[in-house]
Amino acid sequence: MRNTTGRASVAAAATESAGQSALAWPGADAGGGEGPRTGARRWPRARRILIPALFIAPVLVYAVVFFAYPLVFGIVMSFQQFDFAAVVKGSGPFVGFANYRAVLSNSVTLLALRNTIVFTVASVVCQVGIGLSVALLLNRKFFLSSFLRRFVLVPWLIPLLATGTIFSLLFGSSNAPINDILQHAHLVQAPVPWLIQGNTALTAIILVNIWAGLPFNIIVLYSGLQDIDPALHEAAMVDGANPLQKLRYITLPLLRPVLLIVIMLGIIATVKVFDIVWVMTGGGPNNATQLLSSWAYTQAFTNFNFGQGAAISDLLLVISFALALIYLRSLRQQGR
Amino acid sequence: MAPRKSPLHRLTRVAREISLNVIGCAVVAALVFPVYWAICVALQSDQTPLITPPSLIPLHLVFSNVSQAFDAETSDIMTSLIVSCAAVAVGLAVGFPAAYALKRFRLRYTAVVIGVLLVTQMVPSISLSIAFYSLFDDVHLLNSYIGLILADSTYAVPLMVLLLRAFLESVPDELIEAARLDGCGEVRCMISVVTPVAVPGIMTAAMFGFLGAWGDFLFGLTLNSGSSVQPVTLGLYKFVTVYSNSWGPIMATVVLAAIPAAVILGIGQRWVRSGLRAGALQ
Repeated sequence: MRNTTGRASVAAAATESAGQSALAWPGADAGGGEGPRTGARRWPRARRILIPALFIAPVLVYAVVFFAYPLVFGIVMSFQQFDFAAVVKGSGPFVGFANYRAVLSNSVTLLALRNTIVFTVASVVCQVGIGLSVALLLNRKFFLSSFLRRFVLVPWLIPLLATGTIFSLLFGSSNAPINDILQHAHLVQAPVPWLIQGNTALTAIILVNIWAGLPFNIIVLYSGLQDIDPALHEAAMVDGANPLQKLRYITLPLLRPVLLIVIMLGIIATVKVFDIVWVMTGGGPNNATQLLSSWAYTQAFTNFNFGQGAAISDLLLVISFALALIYLRSLRQQGR
Repeated sequence: MAPRKSPLHRLTRVAREISLNVIGCAVVAALVFPVYWAICVALQSDQTPLITPPSLIPLHLVFSNVSQAFDAETSDIMTSLIVSCAAVAVGLAVGFPAAYALKRFRLRYTAVVIGVLLVTQMVPSISLSIAFYSLFDDVHLLNSYIGLILADSTYAVPLMVLLLRAFLESVPDELIEAARLDGCGEVRCMISVVTPVAVPGIMTAAMFGFLGAWGDFLFGLTLNSGSSVQPVTLGLYKFVTVYSNSWGPIMATVVLAAIPAAVILGIGQRWVRSGLRAGALQ
């Protein structure tokens, strides 16, 4: 808490002083009286608005061209019968809510929605739980702690698609390491056909996503832990608090803002995961691992029904924006 | 800390030290194992491990898989490098002035700009790629470098503005004001005064932008699957779907696809934490 709000206020102070100096400029310039500065004197207000706007303009134009316009176009697509001919033409016949009706009455969409929720909740709960435990562990000082900390990044070195590829082999066959270990530990009698049966396939994909997301969670939570003033822990120790009490009454409350951010960013990143599921199962078997992202892809690019694909991806977009709004609101509340 | 001399205390401390090290090693082993296993498979004979599982201590290194993967993927790796670097360049060109302005001027709409960028980061790529597919078809950008670069820049641009802004906060205002008093225009001030000071921040932002573009699969799959201009992730995917039992070559391709990102992260390791901090803890 101390740290994030501290940072925010430093940032606010910095922009404050920059703003004041910008306000002070026309007056300071007036002494110069050189060519370009007369402009400043004549239109100080226009300059004050125009110059920053020129710096900001590229990113705003970019946001409109590459985000706003495509997203609006996608919404328009979802109200059209958008097949391959429509792609070539750039628009299709308007069909009202037909795509949404078709999508919502399709049981696969509801299954994909359910899978996305299960996938997201399970992934984020485990990522944050494991991530926090590992961060707490690495936050202690022991012989190998700084050595081990370097390896935390490893899952992050590889693109998600490569992660999915590795794990589809690790899970995929009867004598691959995962079944090997489980059998040697006598946890299962026969090799589990992980990716071939519905329940285990979803579990496998969740496990892979947890693994892939751990570095981010560990590093951010670890740096959150590092920001907690050690004096607080010493004070609690003097007062006779045991480690569990210190965790409960000092660490967790002070880590709350960071935890909240990690959870929100985790949810937002997980609802749109595509690569892992696509390379490991392609949404199968029998749609058991179909997520909204892979289902939208399937409708648009496998069945060439871009209208329904756009409708599904717009559902995902609405979910993402709702989550984004919650995230922005929680950020603002923390800033206070 | 008060020194504790009693043998019982010493014993518990030794026990704690040992258990912390053991647990730490186990956790890191679980994180590292899949990658280590992939490397082991890549460096052993290309016999399908469906018959013989690979040894976890590779004594007989075989480079045939790697050379096979290298032959197949060189052009894809080059494509990924070009596209990722170009996406970073777009990100810097669009993002740095904005980050500079957000730091330099107190604007009434700062919060709006940042909010918009945070929201754009949350847009699912699938929503964009369905629209891009039709829009790019109209302007002949499908299956091209430029189309893929522009699509991948959607990862880089918002990220870079937000990261660079967080980094530029630490540049002292006096520095800019002194330069302005010396008659330096805003543009020159940004390029020759702020840029040199902001190099670590720029490198961090470039690294994260690069990793985002390098890891992209969806844009490559949707926008560029009909041509030879394909990123290494798409090359890997096509390879997996065709030769699903050639574990050796598949894992060699995985390792090759990871090397550039790994090298960059290795060089930039000291920036990772500050970057994640700045990005996550806006």
